[in-house]
Amino acid sequence: MNDAELRSGLQAGPVPGEAEAGERAWQVVRQAYAARERLPWIERHSRVVIVFALLAALAVGAVSPPGRALVDTFRDTVGREAPATQPALVRLPPGGRLLVDSPRGPWVVHADGSKRLLGAYDAASWSPQGLFVVATRDHQVVAVEPDGHVRWTLTRPGLVAQARWAPSGFRIAYREGATLRVVIGNGEGDRLLADGVAPVAPAWRPLAVRNQLAYADRAGKIHVIDVDTREQLLSVPSHRSVEKLLWAEGGRRLIVLSAHPADLNRRQGGIRVVGTPSLPAGHRLLDGAVLADGLFAYADYDPKADTTALIQAACVTSDPCLLIGPVRLFQGDGKLENLVVSPDSRWLYFGWPAADQAVFLRTPGVRKLATVPNIAEEFDPGGIGPAEFPYVAGWVPDPGSS
Amino acid sequence: MPRAGRDERAWVRGAQAGSASDLEALFRDHWPRAYRAAYLVVHDAAAAEDIAQESFLAAVRALDTFDRRRPFGPWLHRIVVNRSIDWARARSLRREVGDEALAVAEARLDAPKQEVSEEVTAALAALPPEQRAVIVMRFLLEYSPGEIARMLGLPRGTVNSRLRRGLDALQSHVAEEPS
Repeated sequence: MNDAELRSGLQAGPVPGEAEAGERAWQVVRQAYAARERLPWIERHSRVVIVFALLAALAVGAVSPPGRALVDTFRDTVGREAPATQPALVRLPPGGRLLVDSPRGPWVVHADGSKRLLGAYDAASWSPQGLFVVATRDHQVVAVEPDGHVRWTLTRPGLVAQARWAPSGFRIAYREGATLRVVIGNGEGDRLLADGVAPVAPAWRPLAVRNQLAYADRAGKIHVIDVDTREQLLSVPSHRSVEKLLWAEGGRRLIVLSAHPADLNRRQGGIRVVGTPSLPAGHRLLDGAVLADGLFAYADYDPKADTTALIQAACVTSDPCLLIGPVRLFQGDGKLENLVVSPDSRWLYFGWPAADQAVFLRTPGVRKLATVPNIAEEFDPGGIGPAEFPYVAGWVPDPGSS
Repeated sequence: MPRAGRDERAWVRGAQAGSASDLEALFRDHWPRAYRAAYLVVHDAAAAEDIAQESFLAAVRALDTFDRRRPFGPWLHRIVVNRSIDWARARSLRREVGDEALAVAEARLDAPKQEVSEEVTAALAALPPEQRAVIVMRFLLEYSPGEIARMLGLPRGTVNSRLRRGLDALQSHVAEEPS
């Protein structure tokens, strides 16, 4: 083979999957590009100020009948898409597919509102492309197709929970009691990764080609490990009450959410670890989520007033991460929890159990607000007694859109 | 060769100014070569898609700071090839822990049949990722050894020796294959 033949061999003929892959990739790149588009700072700032002022006024007035009317007016202004009397989940306002854990098991909910119960599993999460679901039930880890067809089952002696599929698609991490284990995406090669882990869901670093996992141990330390090489990338002391680990900025930042404030701001192995934002005395952080454009949303619960404020803040893209410019997006009686962002990071879902509503909010600020009422019964049809409020475990794009 | 002329500079300028159609033109012009380069280094269609896509996402993230007097292709190809080498190395590590069936999981279910020259693909697959990368850069992307050295941050002599060893290995592999 001479140089010309080699050149011809490399350049000639279509490469497998090139066109289809190109279409899928273009959709992702286009979305990223759209997300990159930002309004001029002053305009963005003025909108936030207006929204903040409106929300503050609403929060003050919402307890009185005139205030209630003002709330309705505001919701109509920002674009409430589903009337409050709507009896059931008709469609997902932002599109995509949701995975919803309920007392009956996980449901796959499509953009048109149609849904399928996957089976009697305790909890589930999506594979990165939404082609599969990994579910847990007592001693079993189960890979299921979205139509409910079981691909494989792994049975362990202990109780298993919190299975999470790696962004590469090649690994699944899960907890078995106080141990953290990892299995290949096809159900083979199950092995121990760490023991003495806290009951916190492990979080895969959002990298397409490496399998790196963040987890918390029972001593209050946060670790990031490469599961294939077993290289320890990060190990920093944190808070014993860690509740959630969130990656931001493409895996350069790890946000550690705990019920009580923790000032971490540690950097190790190219990863900046950021703690929970400071809250007013006596308040509790219920949940948090990473939005587009370096924004972060969190639920600030005031136990005395039994109300929760949903706050948006900018996590400045410099070291250390500073939460600045907090803006109140929403306030409601009881707890606002289970914050989940859409695949394009533009929509924020949260559950409002006290109002039995699922709320979809278009960010930044409050561009649109869509509510879905009677959500508990929707996922426990025919159930006896008060229905348990469902938990959204994940949100992926529609098939073929990514 | 990737377009390096007036069109490309106009597309970059348009994309920087917010034109999605210019970005699409840039993407569609460069995707085939970026994807092909990744595929020929990693020999895995799903991984090549991820790598090429991630490279374009990196381009989008850096768009505002990109110097539009410079050609876009070499900048993109450098990211693609470096990520492909990383992936291929990681794949080798996975093999060491006995994961031959990795591609089963989350693989695109409609895996396409081989269409690129099977002889060349098979011969390339037998090379170490670093040699594959320089051969792809030299004979697919058509960079000179000096350009490859600059793009990969290697001494020129290293690039030349990798090319020489890679070509020798390809030659012997092809010679051993029954026709």
